Amino acid sequence: MSPSPQIKRIDQRPLREAISTRGRSLVPWLTKDELIKYFFGANAWMSIVVLGLIMLSLYSESIGFNPSRGFFGENYRNLLVYRQAGLEFVDILKKETSGIDGLGKYLADVRLKELLRLIAQGKRDGKPADQALTDANNALTPFDDYVNRLSTLGDPLNVIISPLGDAATATRDAVTDVEHKKQEKELYLRSNKKELADQVTYQEVDLDAAVKPLHDALPSIQDANVKLAAGLALFLTQPPPALDETMKAELAGFNEQVRGLMAVLPTYENELETWNPHLPLPWYKGVTDFFFNTNWLTASSWQNYYGILPLLAGSTLISIVALVIAVPLGVGAGVYINQIATPWEQHIIKPAIEFISAIPSVVLGFFGVAVLGQFLLQLSQWGILPHFSSRLNIITAGILLAFMAVPTIFTLTEDAINNVPRSFKEASYALGANRLQTIWRIILPASLSGVISAVLLGFGRVIGETMVVLLCAGNSIQIPPMSDGLMVLFQPVHTMTGIIAQELGEAERGGIEWHALFMVGLFLFVISLGINFLAQRVVKRFKISIG
Amino acid sequence: MDESKPSAQTAEVVPTKVAAPSPSDKLARLNAPTIIDINNVDFYYGASKALHGINFPIKNKLVTAFIGPSGCGKSTLLRCLNRMNDLVEGTRIGAGSIKISGVDIYDPSVDVIELRKRVGMVFQKSNPFPKSIYENVVYGLRLQGINSKSRLDETVERSLRGAALWEEVRDRLHTSALGLSGGQQQRLCIARAIAVEPEIILMDEPCSALDPIATVKVEELIHQLKQDYTIVIVTHNMQQAGRCSDITAFFYMGRLIEIDATEKIFTNPTQKQTEDYISGRFG
Repeated sequence: MSPSPQIKRIDQRPLREAISTRGRSLVPWLTKDELIKYFFGANAWMSIVVLGLIMLSLYSESIGFNPSRGFFGENYRNLLVYRQAGLEFVDILKKETSGIDGLGKYLADVRLKELLRLIAQGKRDGKPADQALTDANNALTPFDDYVNRLSTLGDPLNVIISPLGDAATATRDAVTDVEHKKQEKELYLRSNKKELADQVTYQEVDLDAAVKPLHDALPSIQDANVKLAAGLALFLTQPPPALDETMKAELAGFNEQVRGLMAVLPTYENELETWNPHLPLPWYKGVTDFFFNTNWLTASSWQNYYGILPLLAGSTLISIVALVIAVPLGVGAGVYINQIATPWEQHIIKPAIEFISAIPSVVLGFFGVAVLGQFLLQLSQWGILPHFSSRLNIITAGILLAFMAVPTIFTLTEDAINNVPRSFKEASYALGANRLQTIWRIILPASLSGVISAVLLGFGRVIGETMVVLLCAGNSIQIPPMSDGLMVLFQPVHTMTGIIAQELGEAERGGIEWHALFMVGLFLFVISLGINFLAQRVVKRFKISIG
Repeated sequence: MDESKPSAQTAEVVPTKVAAPSPSDKLARLNAPTIIDINNVDFYYGASKALHGINFPIKNKLVTAFIGPSGCGKSTLLRCLNRMNDLVEGTRIGAGSIKISGVDIYDPSVDVIELRKRVGMVFQKSNPFPKSIYENVVYGLRLQGINSKSRLDETVERSLRGAALWEEVRDRLHTSALGLSGGQQQRLCIARAIAVEPEIILMDEPCSALDPIATVKVEELIHQLKQDYTIVIVTHNMQQAGRCSDITAFFYMGRLIEIDATEKIFTNPTQKQTEDYISGRFG
């Protein structure tokens, strides 16, 4: 049977020939199909490779493949020198003087409050502002004298401290210098440059000789302590001069504080007497110090500390503020757009919220510095917000970060609600539920896991954000005083992301600070990883429950 | 989602016979009072007209079946009866009225929430909430602020017995409703609908997603329920309409073609289209 004339194939080859020839592509040994597969596969796997490299470099620059050369090892040596050179000894002494400073600060706080009251009183009596201020200061003169006398109590100790401190830092510097030279020499030896290595000479620091002046100072310290105790006892007998009953009530805690200081003096003295520079430092100190030290102090002439706590506290507080604001906004907007809004509103609001995530964070940060911080301060001056002094603080950064987290939370919440089958909603309405009941009892519970993962990812966004916190958080490295209650939110803080951005440029490559910053980066990375993992787990559960 | 275009028919095996009442008994019941009066209703999805001048009464405490090919408007009409179409964007009643007990339910003064409590609904696809069996049944009561445990317990047992599900689930009331089989889920949805004690129950192809055995159970349930409730059922399955309804209405292309006692429709229809459909010549 001859083929019907109307069949005209594009490929005119006979069947046998056509199907026995594999397609060829640009690369001779790959078919077109394989080439396309490898091309897309390479794109997909690229991100895995890059992620792996990032993790690798973070790890090698922070903990290091040889931990004794990494951050923890260096931090251990940092702390060891602190003990061996006698900085630890001097710091015990400084605790005594800072106790006296604490008393002074307590009195200064009371004075400020009284001053404000006096000025207000003066204004009520019809005095001009500067007159009221002068009068108030005059009235407080006896109190000021009292405070001055108190501050002189620390003088004998200070006289002892400053030469000891100088000696200790000198020892520390000498030890560090020797350490560096040793490293240099080792480096030369390893690269077979013996003549260069021979040129590097150093003399081991005699630690015992170095700390001798400290031990020698003990009798004079004991002497000074006796004087201090006597002086404090004297102040106990003469309470600070209060101008009125309110002030007296505010000063009520003073004696308690003085007694407290007197009580710890013997403990400090005991610590000084038993202090031993050769006491071994436990091996884990380099690690625990990073996680539990409450100081992050770099480029200090005294002692550097690399404790993540103040940074973690700052990041956490800002994130909490941001989430407390962003979660209701994002979830509420998601529910509204998905369930209630008219199509017209959906067309306006949805792209607008999604656009927020396209705003460069530095622009938002600029807005925070120039407008929001100033506005909050103004509110405080008008008495709408409680009194605070720092324009850049946790609240300012938190509000802006909330703004940045809203699109993430909104989009994911809306997706989650979209996944709730329409039949649930219909069944609820058919049983006589109103809109609010349907949202609250059916739609939100059914999309709860999605909403939770939205919040988690919003948290991830917030804790990793850098520019806004660098500009708006105030960058003061401290664990804000939690005892202030909600007022803590008006404190300036520093953050984990902010410190990396700020200090990495100045840190010496491969130095301890460099490693410490990478350590913070690694910590952030682990947090983000944990959050993402958690969010994915939650979403998985959600899919099963809908069925 | 357009409920007026239901999914393809599902083939179903003929279930066991249910004892038919005597003809004289049936005739007497067909004279029951009217509860829903559908009056020249035109209905629109946006610009397209889905229902054309529908006009007939639904009798109290009888089972009325709506039959017809896909897209004929039977589901649309059903969803007009408790205003579920309000949830669909762009729908409206163009002309006519639907009166339940003499009240026009599309009047602005009507409380839609209360209407839906009195006119319950069972959907084509069983749709229990992702909650426990117990919470599914009491959902309607909780909406009304009833939280007394004894009252809820009592309702759960009564409703589940009413839906012939009690014996199967009494030991696992607090496990997830999504763990039930398809047929059990559909009966749970019926239990949920009768828990709020409606007067009318609308069923939108309640058996189309069920296997034959589950279908038999639901049909037996419909027989029990008509003692207490007026039931309107949309079905694709003509045997089902024949087995469980007293009155059958045949729709085609958005128009009511014929309505009569079920036996008459199936044995001696007056319209040619009805006969063609019933005998399977189209649809």
